[in-house]
Amino acid sequence: MIELINVPSLTTIQDLGRYGYQKFGIPVSGVMDEVSARLANYLVGNHDNTPLIEFVLKGPSIRFHTSAVFAVAGDVDVRLNGIPIEPWQSHWAKRGDVLEVGTLKSGVYGYIAFSGGILCDKILGSCATYLRAKLGRALKQGDKLKLGYAILTGKEGKALPEPLIPRYSNENEIRVILGPQLEHFTEKGIETFLSSAYEVTPNSDRMGYRLEGPEIEHSEKGADIITDAIPLGAIQVPANGKPIIMLADRQTTGGYAKIGVVARVDVPKVAQTRAGGKLRFKAITVEEAQELLRKREFLFRNVKRLLDGEVRGYKIKALGEEFMIFVEKREIEKRTTLFPS
Amino acid sequence: MFPQFKPAGDSALVIIFGDRIDEEINKKVHAVANAIEKASPDWLIEVVPTYTSVYVYYDPLELSYQEALDAIRPFLSAEPKEEKPRIVEIPTVYGGEFGPDIEFVAQHNSLTVDDVIEIHSKPLYRVYMLGFTPGFAYLGGMDERIATPRLEKPRLKVPAGSVGIAGKQTGIYPIESPGGWRLIGRTPLRLFTPEKDPPTLLRPGDYVKFVPISEEEFWEIYKREWGEQK
Repeated sequence: MIELINVPSLTTIQDLGRYGYQKFGIPVSGVMDEVSARLANYLVGNHDNTPLIEFVLKGPSIRFHTSAVFAVAGDVDVRLNGIPIEPWQSHWAKRGDVLEVGTLKSGVYGYIAFSGGILCDKILGSCATYLRAKLGRALKQGDKLKLGYAILTGKEGKALPEPLIPRYSNENEIRVILGPQLEHFTEKGIETFLSSAYEVTPNSDRMGYRLEGPEIEHSEKGADIITDAIPLGAIQVPANGKPIIMLADRQTTGGYAKIGVVARVDVPKVAQTRAGGKLRFKAITVEEAQELLRKREFLFRNVKRLLDGEVRGYKIKALGEEFMIFVEKREIEKRTTLFPS
Repeated sequence: MFPQFKPAGDSALVIIFGDRIDEEINKKVHAVANAIEKASPDWLIEVVPTYTSVYVYYDPLELSYQEALDAIRPFLSAEPKEEKPRIVEIPTVYGGEFGPDIEFVAQHNSLTVDDVIEIHSKPLYRVYMLGFTPGFAYLGGMDERIATPRLEKPRLKVPAGSVGIAGKQTGIYPIESPGGWRLIGRTPLRLFTPEKDPPTLLRPGDYVKFVPISEEEFWEIYKREWGEQK
């Protein structure tokens, strides 16, 4: 069991989301940055969808009532019993230890994963917290959370290779697939959208990020559509011409025309951009977006296997670029037998 | 020409069956959505039927956009079943503290409060889709004689079960939330119960009938539905 002893507001339990209930009006919710959250879970030997703690800008302090392996994802100072430790690594805490997670130096969302995961009472198949409908609640001081059984999975001392650590920037190029209501915009409007910088406003949260920038011109069809569904990363443009990017806690349906949808690989970049940060949009095809996603998932599979000790990873530099290569452990052993050094 | 197909990002596609709110188009939407859901192929994440379209959320690691289009084609011929629709009665207290805007709605339309109650509780309203918030039903079929614009300044808190009018639409707030609809009444029924599966009282294709009740009846049903919680 762990106990929360200092809890900044909007600290919640999340997983990868509540699927299958959007047709009843229930938002998917789940983690805002699936890259950081999944990597945190991999570090402690968990699978992708294991419930973990999400915090906004400032992390909580936690007392361990049992020993546990944990990892913190985020650009943040972390202390265990007052001694600085590294984020993006797994650590072992024993009964009575106190973990303090500081303020994010970049990015907006940070994660704390525990080996075996946080046990929660699932609502409609998921531990994702959705505050607006009271599906779960914000964590508060004194909350005690049970951890899953994890005797063999988590090991301390695992570190994410440096090139794989996400870097959060406040100026991002975001790739989008245009549509599905492109006919609600003039050519000039689409040109404005793709050639201007848009600033993330403070009026942004888990539901969506409101952007400020040049007005996007609607065609004679106007800003309103017959209400339809809102996928993750959909970019709505209401009558004022200012785009809103719909994120984890977005409502399932809406009546504003959508000029595009953010490629899934770039959704974490949007989520981690702070108020005042700038986004520029670049159109890509659906095929390109899906290829980017396949490449990312191939990398993620190998990172998971690397951290689980099934493969070894090497960093190589070639043609001025850095690459990670993954080699099956069995292959290495085979080669060692053939060519003893 | 319908149906039309479009990508909605890299993990969803949309099938569009029409460009107006129409019962026949919406029936086709639900027939196709149900057929895809029933087949439940491995690549399917979920299906969201709306007024005129079906959003198919799929796993792009399993199949590409083109492959997804091919995979949904066999379901497009699904036709609405000719079965008796479910009629869900919504017991509602009109006016008073339960519907503080009913006088405004009456005055705005040069009617009496009793006229508003009669006109509102007369039709069978079709549930075209659910969305926006958990359990919210988009209802069709309101009489335009009671159409009233929204509040200029939305209320910060509208109780769950509140029945309202916004323009030519009527609806029920399933959970306590901020809102700008003109409130004419309130039902003691729970429209969203997360402990249940399915978690909502109303389902697409249902018909809703508002039934005027007294305050006493309200509290009786309320206790049964919500227990002692407020």
